[in-house]
Amino acid sequence: MTLKTLPPAGAATPGIRLESVTLSRGDRVVLEQIDLHLTEQRIGLVGDNGAGKSSLFRLICGLDQPQSGRVSVHGCRTDDAGERRKLPQQVGMMFQNPDDQIIFPTVAEELAFSLTAAGIGKQQARQQARAFLVARGLPDWADRAVGELSQGQRQQVCLMALQITTPATLLLDEPYSALDLPSQLRLSAQVAATSQQIILSTHLLGHVQDFERVLWLDKGRLRGDGPGRDICAAYAQDVRERAALHSAVEVLHHAAQADAT
Amino acid sequence: MTTTTGTMTSTRSLSYIALFAAVIAVFGLIPKIDLPFGVPITLQSLGIMLVGCLLGPKRAFYTVGLFLVAVALGLPLLSGGRGGVAVFVAPSAGFLLGWLIGAVVCGVSMRQFMKRMPEAKGKGLLIVAFLSSLIGGIVVMYFFGILGLMLAAHLSATQATLAVLAFIPGDLVKCAACAVLVQSVVRGMPSWRLDRD
Amino acid sequence: MRSLYSTRRTWLHGVPAWLKLVALSLGGTVLMLTADVRGIAIAAAIVLALFASLGPAGWRQWRMLRGLLIASALIAGFHWAMGHPAIGLVSALRIMAAAMLALMLSITTRFDDLLTVLETILSPLRRFGLPVERIALAIGLTLRFAENFYAQWQRLDDAHRARTGRSGGLRLLAPLAIRALQTAERVADALAARLGG
Repeated sequence: MTLKTLPPAGAATPGIRLESVTLSRGDRVVLEQIDLHLTEQRIGLVGDNGAGKSSLFRLICGLDQPQSGRVSVHGCRTDDAGERRKLPQQVGMMFQNPDDQIIFPTVAEELAFSLTAAGIGKQQARQQARAFLVARGLPDWADRAVGELSQGQRQQVCLMALQITTPATLLLDEPYSALDLPSQLRLSAQVAATSQQIILSTHLLGHVQDFERVLWLDKGRLRGDGPGRDICAAYAQDVRERAALHSAVEVLHHAAQADAT
Repeated sequence: MTTTTGTMTSTRSLSYIALFAAVIAVFGLIPKIDLPFGVPITLQSLGIMLVGCLLGPKRAFYTVGLFLVAVALGLPLLSGGRGGVAVFVAPSAGFLLGWLIGAVVCGVSMRQFMKRMPEAKGKGLLIVAFLSSLIGGIVVMYFFGILGLMLAAHLSATQATLAVLAFIPGDLVKCAACAVLVQSVVRGMPSWRLDRD
Repeated sequence: MRSLYSTRRTWLHGVPAWLKLVALSLGGTVLMLTADVRGIAIAAAIVLALFASLGPAGWRQWRMLRGLLIASALIAGFHWAMGHPAIGLVSALRIMAAAMLALMLSITTRFDDLLTVLETILSPLRRFGLPVERIALAIGLTLRFAENFYAQWQRLDDAHRARTGRSGGLRLLAPLAIRALQTAERVADALAARLGG
């Protein structure tokens, strides 16, 4: 049900490539020697907080530059400022908090902005934004103030603003974390229905279990890469083992302290 | 900070005042242009006008007052990381007083307009906000700024006025930007009332 | 937000805050009242010596002084060009000396100590309804949210760059202001829950 405003960039393009990418912040290495070629339609990204998931997304969007290695998205390189202007047509990113992204006060303006950023004229963008909302069954949202929408509704606006330009890939950074259950289900359904490539980072493993490919990042390194079920199971197992180890250590520690007193 | 009409309680007021003092500080963090005579072209005066137009005269007074007190106590909240009592003895110190009075005047002007045309949106609101910013942000601000410059640098009124003339076009643009900002905020938060005290 | 306060202790750090404030006020008044070149020159020399006695803690803040130095030099130059160099010199020296005194206060006095002095001075006004305790609370809120809003600005800029490949600039002021209003409401609720009203 998406309004096709630009030629879909999916078909013969080479996917997302990361070649020997290393990213550091200050003296901390955030991502180390990442080699990836992402062509699958549904890809999950799991791992502890601080493992580098958001950083990986930021690299793909061109927000950060790797210290070494190269990133290219459907043929568009991220290290050149000129090419970065065209990057939003290939990949869109939805940040965790919709309040961090929405720039315009009304819904229609926010959607139109995505179009004007892609080079479409202001008047035409406004019309297309309204038409998009009508096609989605939300005609009265056009002039609604963003400040009056609920969290879940603002998240929807963000998603629509990304989908209106039909980029080939959508990056969703923990999109479920701030949503209530009905909104989660709605988002999940939208994710399942779209024809764009989706890379989804989440802590709720159930949402990516059925994905054809899931990546497991651990302390900046790629620790797992394979079918959803296997990787999710392996990651969950690893978390359980670490938790068990941690409580075992705590028990020993308390015992040692009790002994000492 | 007493109870006013609507849902404004004193704690609410405190919250708005403190947070918008923070907004003024953040406006100062956006890179500025440093020019001679130590009078910087910054976005902070835009923040002052915005606070005046949005929060009304009383709250604007407390907000800018709080901001200036924080600066006086030594916090580097003035654009360029300046702070401390030293900024109040600089040639541009008059503008700081101008900020305080100017924000109030902005608020009074805005309130007077909005009381007469409470349903103003779109172009009407733009003009009203622009005029308010002009009166408070330029007329009042420069009045005190020029006065301060006269006192600090022993200049005559004409000389001081000539000295700051170059910055007025930039500030006119800021008034327009403030008007656009006010309109955007009203569109984004229609429940925010501009005619409140 | 790094304040001007220097953690490297000097002889002035040990002097109580109120005493320094009194000295600053007296010193400032003397500077204002001195009109002849010799008097000002002596006063300025004394201040310079005092400032130098602070050592590296003082010189670290050279940036604060640089802007004022330029302004003073311009003023002096202007008056010299107009044919009365003495007036220009007096103005310039007065500005620099007053600024150095004020800077010495900021460098050697903790923000909390100054705040305490402020509260003490204002406490008689409490019976007139001035909520003195709230000032400290308000300043605390301002600081906390200045950092918060700045981070918010950077996140909005990230989102803008991800969508357009360019930095957002002034366009981000509107969502920031809206966000400030929304946050203020939430903070007010949290405060009301802890303070009442």
